[in-house]
Amino acid sequence: MKVSRSWLQKYFEAELPSIPAIDDALTFHAFEIEEVISDDVIDLKVLPDRAGYGLSHRGIAHELSAILKMPMKMDPLRVPVSAFPPTDKLVITQDDTYVLRHAGALVRGIKVGPSPDWLKTALEAVGQRSINNIVDILNYVMLDIGQPAGAFDVGTLKKDDDVVKIDIRRAKKGEKITILTGEEYELTDAMFVFTDAVGGTLLDVAGIKGGKSSGVTEKTTDLFISVGNYDGTLLRRASQALKIFTDASTRYQNRPSPELVGYGMRDVLALIKQVAGGELVGVVDEYPRKPVARTVSVTRKNIEEILGAEYSETVIEDVFARLGFSFSKNGDAYVVTPPFERIDINVMQDLVEEVGRIAGYDHVATKAMTASGSVPKNEVIAACNAVRDILAKEGYSEISSYVFQDVGDVEMAKPLADDKKFLRPSFERGHMRAIEQNGPNLPLFNAKDLKLFEIGAVWPKGKEKLILGVTHWTPEKSANKKTDAALGAVSEFLSAAAGKPLSSARIGNTLQFEISQLIGVLSATNAKPPSLTYQQFSLYPFVLRDIAVWVPDGVAASAVESIIREKAGALLKRCDLFDTFSKEGRTSYAYRLVFQSMDKTLTDAEVNAWMKVVTDTLHEQLNWQVR
Amino acid sequence: MNLAGRLHPISTALRELASIFARMGFSVAHGPELETEWHTFTGLNIPPDHPARDMQDTFWIKDRKEEVMRTHTTTVTLRMLEKMAKENLTELRTFNPGKVFRNEATDITHEAQFYQIDGFAAAPTGQITLAHLKGTFEQLYKEYLGPDVKVRFRPSFFSFTEPSVEIDCWFHVPGKEGRWLEMSGAGMLHPTVMRNAGLDPEKTQGFAFGGGLERLLMVKYGIPDVRYFHNGDLRFDYAFEEKV
Repeated sequence: MKVSRSWLQKYFEAELPSIPAIDDALTFHAFEIEEVISDDVIDLKVLPDRAGYGLSHRGIAHELSAILKMPMKMDPLRVPVSAFPPTDKLVITQDDTYVLRHAGALVRGIKVGPSPDWLKTALEAVGQRSINNIVDILNYVMLDIGQPAGAFDVGTLKKDDDVVKIDIRRAKKGEKITILTGEEYELTDAMFVFTDAVGGTLLDVAGIKGGKSSGVTEKTTDLFISVGNYDGTLLRRASQALKIFTDASTRYQNRPSPELVGYGMRDVLALIKQVAGGELVGVVDEYPRKPVARTVSVTRKNIEEILGAEYSETVIEDVFARLGFSFSKNGDAYVVTPPFERIDINVMQDLVEEVGRIAGYDHVATKAMTASGSVPKNEVIAACNAVRDILAKEGYSEISSYVFQDVGDVEMAKPLADDKKFLRPSFERGHMRAIEQNGPNLPLFNAKDLKLFEIGAVWPKGKEKLILGVTHWTPEKSANKKTDAALGAVSEFLSAAAGKPLSSARIGNTLQFEISQLIGVLSATNAKPPSLTYQQFSLYPFVLRDIAVWVPDGVAASAVESIIREKAGALLKRCDLFDTFSKEGRTSYAYRLVFQSMDKTLTDAEVNAWMKVVTDTLHEQLNWQVR
Repeated sequence: MNLAGRLHPISTALRELASIFARMGFSVAHGPELETEWHTFTGLNIPPDHPARDMQDTFWIKDRKEEVMRTHTTTVTLRMLEKMAKENLTELRTFNPGKVFRNEATDITHEAQFYQIDGFAAAPTGQITLAHLKGTFEQLYKEYLGPDVKVRFRPSFFSFTEPSVEIDCWFHVPGKEGRWLEMSGAGMLHPTVMRNAGLDPEKTQGFAFGGGLERLLMVKYGIPDVRYFHNGDLRFDYAFEEKV
């Protein structure tokens, strides 16, 4: 929610601190700051618990008042609402399964026009577009105290002997409404609408979005003002089904107190009178289920037992006073009556949080977590770790591949992409992809064959299983035989370690084992994990060059290698000896060189130039000969 | 020639983290990745049709109502609390690392599958407090990231904890300026969650926490892209070298 400092200022006599100080105050005592937009505006992340009161400038002002100990010069929610004049010119019927409270007003003789500057400025500061004075007033009141409202052009409604009749009812399946922005929506009987009970026209998706037919225009002179409170669950479902998310629906689904309706109506009517003139005919306020005032109790002991720090009665009582919570003492207990808008205060722990955050979590000092004795071993994790160590020792490297793929038995209701609809039934596809991806990179690891494994969940026939998949692949001749032999060896050494024959299933290049057969059989040693450093790898292709050189017997490979490394340039990534043989007093060393840049694709010409320097230098050595 | 293979950095990290947590009395717990709606949401005080469900983009399963890909490993915490109730345990501490899933577009900092390091400690009322949560994370980060780290709390909201906090960690990445990083959500287990598990919230109290593992590793090692972790690229394994 975007909040403007100058808007907040209207609640205080003293000048508010700067935006950075406000940012700090809210961050450490109330809300996360999403973004500081300007030296006047910040965007707050109001989470669901505080959304019932926090999605409003008044709510934020009240928080700042409590945190900064700055008294508010006026608080609209603490000024009682006087009774509205009744009227028989407006009749409203409502379905109480959806409508928790609804106040409707009839106002005649208003003048629609541009908003005064102060209103435009206030709305534009928080990123709202000014539309006309009436719509702007509704938006202003919503952003000011958190109560959404709607306005309808009475001139577009049919009357029954000069009486406006509104029915807030369940929609019929297939009924259609064109909303203010022009799009048409088809409704279901799980949604609720405002209708003109005389003419039958659908006017509004209740609590979500106004309809076009009764929208306020320059010609409008008479208004039906609607301020409501609706069932959060039903409204949320309707909003999600229609995919219409508005500032109003966001507020309603967070279930603000229906008490707020009266304050909203009062403020809307006052502003209309001030800005657009007109005459209030009267108000019809239906409030079938008035919530009873709650009390929540907490003791000092509760607070200290949960937060783990000491709080004096002075501190606790000061927090309650700053938050405007009235309380009485009953023995050790504070019996707190939260203000009506604080729908988030329901259990003792909610009060503990209020004390913790307003007093500040810096007050909570660190207490060490001590342990007596050793903790029980998780046999599944221990078996997995043991397998990891065995396989790594045998040259297999561990990967993690995606669980989502294009075929399987368990389908996502809303997949990320068409080829990620299903949960993997095995590692087959993921490891085939890993072969395609890693196979060409073997020279980077100085390896002749690709040896991979993964431990993870798979869902064959829809049931989750934890398995080990070991994959072998080689680009060399008789690849299949080599893979068969390698995977055969894996089965053998794992069975040997387990002390029993393990069952496995072969799919393609992958051999899969259920982890369940290793539990309690294999167990990790307590080897201390190594300290690691990370060196970012290149995302660019590498270039390979082989070079073989004859040297007199007795010349060490290291002598050759050091020349290569010295002369091949900074982009030589690897230099691996792959073949050595001696013949007639001479030794041949063959090296594979890998060149790679961190920031570009190397050209053959570049690499050839470096190779020429290497070749020439090797040639220059006495009795050395590049083959 | 049989060169040793490489463990995935997550495996290495989890071993080290598990050993740090073990020294604070936490055993390792795990649970299913395809979970019940109860253990993922409802039992954790995130009822159906509540705006709190919007805090996590969820993979729901077609034709399998009441099942989801778990969005956090707090699922395991609820399972362990249920175990406490069933076995009449008065205290338990577990560290629950595991894969979780979020239905969101991927980029250098977002991934649809990632690991969460989650856990809880519960004991008779008054023994495990928010101060112990601070102690746990201070020790964790000091041992894992270095002796200079600092820990602070900010107020937050999670349905399953009250009070709820965000845990920030002051960390000095070599060669960069130190800064506060948002590392984990946490709080004191909500009485409704305790009751849902079959425990008496007046008698048993504790904290729970959960945060992304990849993010912690990205901070610790300076890894620029979260997608390296799960795309099966061996170059990532080989980018880690043992410190000498």
